Amino acid sequence: MYGTQWPVVLLVTPLVGAALTPIIARRRAQLAGYWALFTFSIVSLAAAALTYQIHTQGEFSYYMGGWAPPIGIELRFDEFSASIAVICLVGWLSLLYCLGYAKHAIPERRIPYFYALMLLCLGGMNGFAVTGDIFNLFVFLEILSLAGYALVAITGDGIAELAAFKYLVMGAISSLSILLAIGIMYSLTGTLNMTDLAVRLSDVEPFPAAVAVAALTLGFCVKAALFPLHIWLPDAHSIAPSPVSAVLSGLVVKVGVLGMLRMFQILYASQVLDLTALNNVLMWLGAISIVMGALFAMVQDDIKMMLAYSTISNIGYIFLGLGLASTYGIIGASVHIFNHAIIKACLFLGAGSLIHQTGYRKLSDLRGVGKAMPITSAAIAVGAISIVGIPPTAGFLCKWYIALGAIEADRLFFAVALLFGALLIFVYYIRMLNAFYFMPPSHPEILEVGEAPLTMLIPIVILAILCLVMGIFGRIPLSFIEPAVINMLAPIGG
Amino acid sequence: MEVVDIRPLLAPLLSLFCGILVFAVGERTWWRRFWSLSAAVVKLALVYSMLPGVLDGKIYSYSLIEFTPGIGLAFRVDALGMFFAIVSSSLWLITTVYAIGYMEQEHERARFFGFFALCVSTTVGIAFAENLLTLFLFYEMLTICTYPLVVHEETPEAMKAGRKYLVYTLLGGVFVLLGCAVTFQWAGTLSLSTAGILPASVGKQGLSLLFAAFVIGFGVKAAIMPLHGWLPSAMVAPAPVSALLHAVAVVKAGAFGIMRVVFCVFGVELLRDLGITVWLAALASVTIVLASIIAMTQDNFKRRLAYSTISQLSYIVLGVALLTPLAALGAIVHIANQAFQKITMFFVAGAIQRTTGRTNIHELGGIGYQMPFTMGAFTVAALGFIGVPLTAGFITKWYLSLGAMEAENGWVFVVVLITSSILNAGYWLPVVYMAFFKVPPGTHLHIKEAHWTLLIPTLICAVYVILLGSFAEVPGMPLSLARTAVEFFFGL
Repeated sequence: MYGTQWPVVLLVTPLVGAALTPIIARRRAQLAGYWALFTFSIVSLAAAALTYQIHTQGEFSYYMGGWAPPIGIELRFDEFSASIAVICLVGWLSLLYCLGYAKHAIPERRIPYFYALMLLCLGGMNGFAVTGDIFNLFVFLEILSLAGYALVAITGDGIAELAAFKYLVMGAISSLSILLAIGIMYSLTGTLNMTDLAVRLSDVEPFPAAVAVAALTLGFCVKAALFPLHIWLPDAHSIAPSPVSAVLSGLVVKVGVLGMLRMFQILYASQVLDLTALNNVLMWLGAISIVMGALFAMVQDDIKMMLAYSTISNIGYIFLGLGLASTYGIIGASVHIFNHAIIKACLFLGAGSLIHQTGYRKLSDLRGVGKAMPITSAAIAVGAISIVGIPPTAGFLCKWYIALGAIEADRLFFAVALLFGALLIFVYYIRMLNAFYFMPPSHPEILEVGEAPLTMLIPIVILAILCLVMGIFGRIPLSFIEPAVINMLAPIGG
Repeated sequence: MEVVDIRPLLAPLLSLFCGILVFAVGERTWWRRFWSLSAAVVKLALVYSMLPGVLDGKIYSYSLIEFTPGIGLAFRVDALGMFFAIVSSSLWLITTVYAIGYMEQEHERARFFGFFALCVSTTVGIAFAENLLTLFLFYEMLTICTYPLVVHEETPEAMKAGRKYLVYTLLGGVFVLLGCAVTFQWAGTLSLSTAGILPASVGKQGLSLLFAAFVIGFGVKAAIMPLHGWLPSAMVAPAPVSALLHAVAVVKAGAFGIMRVVFCVFGVELLRDLGITVWLAALASVTIVLASIIAMTQDNFKRRLAYSTISQLSYIVLGVALLTPLAALGAIVHIANQAFQKITMFFVAGAIQRTTGRTNIHELGGIGYQMPFTMGAFTVAALGFIGVPLTAGFITKWYLSLGAMEAENGWVFVVVLITSSILNAGYWLPVVYMAFFKVPPGTHLHIKEAHWTLLIPTLICAVYVILLGSFAEVPGMPLSLARTAVEFFFGL
């Protein structure tokens, strides 16, 4: 039947496209960009079609090659899988941005590999979002992580390689931990399929299951850079080329969160463990992440470093929402997975343009850039206001829902912590806006630079508009997520 | 009677588009003036076109979209909202004229007028908000939009004031948001269309804490002591900004928020049972007296005005906290009265600064010989603050006193009001005396008035102060609107 093969397109196209990139760009490196964009456009089309299908007919499964599990590979498209829409949106815009950016920022002979790695990373993420069994979850996780390590190091600077190495070490630990958990689960239940797992886990020994859950949580928390497991993030995200930072900060860290959501889906359904303790830990770590991320960000002068620390705060929001385990809380957390991806991509791409045009990356050097690059600066300002959660921007929804969730769960303290934490975040964003708009330039020649080329400007503007639109039309993502969360919490009477 | 009408949405949208257009035309002066003025005129007409209906008891509403499930971005024009909207859009027009003259030589005028328009947009949004979340949304946007105006000078002092302003107001915003979330949990709605949504069953302690959170949140902008610290420092902003924002839009948004919380979220009945507003009344009384005393010690003209504002705003808070119909009437009417009186004074301060360069009060000896019309306007406003009959301030004091007598131990508050009148006389009359009578030797009548764009708005406001006081009972004047609002909230 026409259209039913979209899942294959979604997963296979980026892999094939990535493999072909170095061949196609053998003679002219710049061709790689167009090829990658073309390939990813097809992937995005598939993602759009699949998201629409989820929207119209609800949850459905796809069996690779028609083989039903346990033999075949199951792809499961539920509401959380709809994150492929955001992955493709941000990914596509970042690739478009690369067309203008890569020329100067990345050594020419590495450009084909750069695009190949981008495709792998994004394709791996799509796979992670839609896979229905935990072993493939691990496989896709490795694909995207390995591509991520390489992308951080792609410029070949000494510092970049060091940052990538740090990222690699932490990433390897988390991967091992996840693999261990998968092994334990398989030996306990004899299945890798998530739906089966949910059923079979309900009558296993609680202790080994608890070990598996702990290992999974550890693994995913490292990937998500939850405090105190965040140490790899600031360097990796600030040193990487800006479009890579956008993808890493907006999307790749969310892999950890999506993984947690998948784990919770299984655990809530099977009710094998009492999750109160785990949720408490997540809540506290989330709250601490918000505050610590903000405090670290406050003392940064490097614009990308600041944005990287702000990611840690935002991951804190999401984990706080997850840990609350109340309907509103998890809705808030899930919505923020999408919204933060858009906001942070907007900010990182914007910062990339500033650095690309002016050659400076410190706030004290970038003073007065608001007059030189008005559109980019305005987009960054919108992103900043959005990430702080001033209504009616995208960031507000998450704050509102998690606050409601905290009150619903009778934990007013966390609502207070969240809202005041958000205020701390504003302190450093206002420093940035002050530098852009209200301070005399420290390098007068900065006023001479113009806007970045259109391929870089357009993605930023689109993302900035989305920061506003996703807030005002917050119903759209919510209509997706709300039933999923209610389903997920149904077994524990949420 | 509820009528669906798009005008409540158009009113804030108009200034929003005006702001965008002003940014778009950049440094082209003529177009900027054209858009600013025509938007102000059209908006005023739009708001006034709803006045007859509102006076007849009609309520215009428009629901834009479901912002989040269950809570829409919705607008609703009731008498109280209309009152606030009329005051702010009338003064927007007058202030725009003034600002065009005042900002002639300034830098970054596109930014200034753009954000100026955005501020008015958000203020009308606050006035017409149908639910607490919509109100909060505009309340926060107002904070953001005023920041570039406060730091307009870009001097270190201005940046510091801006920082202080943001910290205070955003902290307040957090309390409001917290209050909204808790209210939603307890009441299941955030609508502001009835006289009270919270159920009494929640318990006294919880409700008291919630009320405190709201009072702190809105009290920051209403500059209730000890939350007033941002206001005197924010006086570094250009005079039209101080005038419109710190006498009208920002501070009144806080006072208006408190009114909404008292009348629409809690309801008069519930608050009477709780008995917590007496604390608010006490706080307001302390603010009225203390701020007046501090104002006496200030030599900088605008700082004295700032402390006077703090004192006057607490009249409104006091009137609301007394929970009697007449006091509420006085409080609502004071939104208009204080606005016109205070804006006259700010205009005078700005005109003197632009014309003579003087900013301190001790330098004003004999200024009446040079700028008699400006100082005449000042005298009218000063008499208004003292509460002399036939000026706007008298109407406020009359109703506030009547309302206080209805309340328990009301005489205390009457004493506060009388003390305040004496103190007001104590710090405004010397200025009048200096201007006209304490003339340095050798001064002659040598009229060198401010530019007409500065003078005309000042005089109009001064005339209006007298109109508000002398013809308060004429239908269509603010008092009639305020009466409609009070009748609704008190179920009369």
